[in-house]
Amino acid sequence: MGFWRQVRAVARKELIAEIRTGEVLLITAPFGAVVLLLIPLAVGTDRPLLTRIGPGMYWVVVLVFGIMVALRQSAIDEPPQRDLMALLGLDPAARFVGQAGATFLLLLLFEVILAPVAGALYNPQLSGWAWPALLALLPMFAFGLALLGTLAGWLTVSLTTGRSLVPLMVAPLSVPLLLSATQALEGLRIQASITGWIVLLLTLDLALALVCVLSARPLEEAAR
Amino acid sequence: MTRARLLEVSAGIGVMSSLLLSLLLPPEQVQGHLSKMLFVHVPSIYLAYVAFGVTLVGSGAYLATKDLKWDRLAGASGEVGVFFTGLAILLGMSWAKPTWGVWWTWDARLVLTAVMFFVYLSYVALRRAIPDRVTRARRAGVFGMLAIVQIPLVHFSVIWWRTLHQPPSLTRPGPIQMDGPYVVALLVAVVAFTLLYVVLVSRRIELSKIEAAIEDGFQTADTAVAGAAVSVPRFDQLENNDV
Repeated sequence: MGFWRQVRAVARKELIAEIRTGEVLLITAPFGAVVLLLIPLAVGTDRPLLTRIGPGMYWVVVLVFGIMVALRQSAIDEPPQRDLMALLGLDPAARFVGQAGATFLLLLLFEVILAPVAGALYNPQLSGWAWPALLALLPMFAFGLALLGTLAGWLTVSLTTGRSLVPLMVAPLSVPLLLSATQALEGLRIQASITGWIVLLLTLDLALALVCVLSARPLEEAAR
Repeated sequence: MTRARLLEVSAGIGVMSSLLLSLLLPPEQVQGHLSKMLFVHVPSIYLAYVAFGVTLVGSGAYLATKDLKWDRLAGASGEVGVFFTGLAILLGMSWAKPTWGVWWTWDARLVLTAVMFFVYLSYVALRRAIPDRVTRARRAGVFGMLAIVQIPLVHFSVIWWRTLHQPPSLTRPGPIQMDGPYVVALLVAVVAFTLLYVVLVSRRIELSKIEAAIEDGFQTADTAVAGAAVSVPRFDQLENNDV
């Protein structure tokens, strides 16, 4: 079985598990929406303030809850599952890419669900052409976060404290992603150039993809 | 005197001399004696960079050679680096309050240093969470190499962004904007704290070896020999019973 076919098979398995459990769509996404609703109650319902902080709050919620998406129960392979996949001759890099691919799609869906919620609650006042630009930003952010989350998941596989450790590992490392996304969205809001931030996001995504694929095999060995 | 003891004594004398030297220097024109925090703050952040650089080298060397001594070096250096980063942040905050009027400000250097602290804190937490030595070494090796991206971000943040924090004191291009005695005292402090770093790392490596030996001892002690409850048949008894 070729590499990309293996990737597709793993991603399909992950997505089917998510469809059956509904962990991201039925639990994490509504929880994220609740948090977006709670923030104005905590900081005050002053409309100009909410318009200013809205885009930043959106990305912070996506980041924090995105880690939960990467940590969803169906993404965690137990040792017998890993052994079976190894016995089937599955390439560790293909398994990594497949898992990260499924996480990316779920994160993207999560972002798309939350974007109109944040738009309605915070009224960020984006001009007409800013919405298509935002649609280009969403996958870039989701890609980087999916890679970081999957990598952290692999680093902490079968550890008793693994689920607590992943957020501590991913959140500080994703600061450049958060910074690029928030600054790009702010640039869209004030109609300034966002090319620099887009280039930074793309560079981060590519660098992360390289690191993750190269480290898949040592991590697969370490998981035994 | 052993080499380790000599190193410890040298580090102790070095740190004491550095602190004494900083007390003897005249106060700075604007900040007065407060500026002498420089002699601990700058070596701390410099040693944090060195420590995390050593963690990178140790991690890479382990992944390439699979020799656990490199993992011990990476882990020890990472822990000491977290200590020095925390010290630099605490001293920086104490310095910021009287000079900037606040304990903390949303300055690129400060924020990125705090981020670096948390990244390596998670590195230490990851190591502590994995009991098996080889698994720990492999996983920490990958994370130790990934985490290094923080260092250039922190160091060049004062050049890339307009920040409240001053640019590098000694390594910036152009003439050094510091009086001679202050430069000498800073260099003495850097050397003294580097010795302290070497002592701390070597002691932590020793501790890791002891921990490993104790773990090995426990594993051996806990493993009961199969059939230990059955006594070994003795030849003389067999003869007496005419079996």
